[in-house]
Amino acid sequence: MTAQAFFIGFFGLASVWFGIVVFRTYSMMRSAIALLFSQTALGAMFLSMQAEFLGVLQIMMMATEMSIMAIFMVMFMMDPGGLGEMDMTHQKRLSLIAGFVSFVAAVAVAVFVDWGPVATTFPDAAQQTVDLGLELLDRSMLIFETAGITILTAMIAATAVAIQPVKKGDDK
Amino acid sequence: MNTLIILVLLLLGAYFVAVLENWISKGRFQLGAPLFAAVAFLGRESFIPRKPDQLFYEVGPVLLLLSAILAAAVIPLTPDLIITDLATGALFINAALVYVLVALLMAGWGPDGAYSMIGGWRFLGQLIAYAMLIVMPITAVAMRAESLLTTQIVVSQAELWNIVYQPLGFVLFFIASMALAFLPPFDMMIAKGELAGGVESEYSGMRLAIFRLGRLVLIITLAAATVVFYLGGWQGLPGIGLPPWAWSAIKILLVTAAMLLIGRYIPRIREAHLLSWCWIFGIPLALLNIFIVGVLVLEFP
Repeated sequence: MTAQAFFIGFFGLASVWFGIVVFRTYSMMRSAIALLFSQTALGAMFLSMQAEFLGVLQIMMMATEMSIMAIFMVMFMMDPGGLGEMDMTHQKRLSLIAGFVSFVAAVAVAVFVDWGPVATTFPDAAQQTVDLGLELLDRSMLIFETAGITILTAMIAATAVAIQPVKKGDDK
Repeated sequence: MNTLIILVLLLLGAYFVAVLENWISKGRFQLGAPLFAAVAFLGRESFIPRKPDQLFYEVGPVLLLLSAILAAAVIPLTPDLIITDLATGALFINAALVYVLVALLMAGWGPDGAYSMIGGWRFLGQLIAYAMLIVMPITAVAMRAESLLTTQIVVSQAELWNIVYQPLGFVLFFIASMALAFLPPFDMMIAKGELAGGVESEYSGMRLAIFRLGRLVLIITLAAATVVFYLGGWQGLPGIGLPPWAWSAIKILLVTAAMLLIGRYIPRIREAHLLSWCWIFGIPLALLNIFIVGVLVLEFP
């Protein structure tokens, strides 16, 4: 077993473990931080697979996103100290089934898809960044821009829906 | 070897920041004060709050120090003096610095104290304000260098430093890094008078020493990043024959001094006000900066 395989396995297990921790706590803060570390471990997996840009990007984005998620949860629940003993699970049966089905589907894809021959040579990190940039702004531009705009719209819409309308003369 | 040298230099830098901060804020220039303070911290009793989240409480200060050091790992002080010249260096600095926020959140929430918790959430509010102003100016810098390698970014400024090439980006990055290092006037999360120290309030002894050291290292790291991104890194002014490391040192110390000095003359800014300023003016300006740099890069290569 090479060191690379060891680290991929290690971070993979860490990612799964932190994912489980998310649901084992009753505090939104702990839950958010556990989710963050789960995603960070995923970023570390990318790093062990020599995908430097993706790894660093994952590690960076998730820290911001999870923290902002935490503050949104706290704001909407008005529970900054996390003392509400909030259960992190809901619709248990549905979530269990959905989780299991997606797990089986992911494993099936990993096992049954013909991935082609294993690459023995790969471009160095700087070249990877260049290739990724060309990919994002060339062939896949439409996909990524559409996804980006959709996410932005969804975020703005979600925030707008969540804000209580302020009556005139009632503010402050 | 480089790792060791940079770590020692960071420690030295933190010492200088401490001396400077003492000098600028209290008007006392005492070279020995930081050392005595450090020894005193180590000798003091470490109070532990009654019901802390052990993990968050202990990890917070260490993570703050660690993320500042990690960010410094990709900053070149001379062409060779760099811990690791990552192909994604400019992005890696961002990634490491975001964990400053995670550290402060953990340190704020962990001790189970109202003051520190409010401090932690305040810093999160501040992050939403400054985060884009760190990322977008760095994007413009990388656009000019056509690389994320920090050494390449320095080399790209051989003819003209970025502070002249993209002054708007420099101003935004400078403000954002002051907010990131929670220097005055953006230091409401460790507000002494109002929150009894905010995030720091439940820490004492050794842990507080690590927290403070982490903050000092963070300040020097951000000053070094500013120098690398905007002030030509190790490159000197023509006509003055100083070695590259001396140029780096002089510039970093000047930027640090500027950061500390400016904060003394501006009233403190609440994170909510910073938030609205950053999103109404800062981000459009940062986008404008990217646009201008894009036009410059394409038209005058």
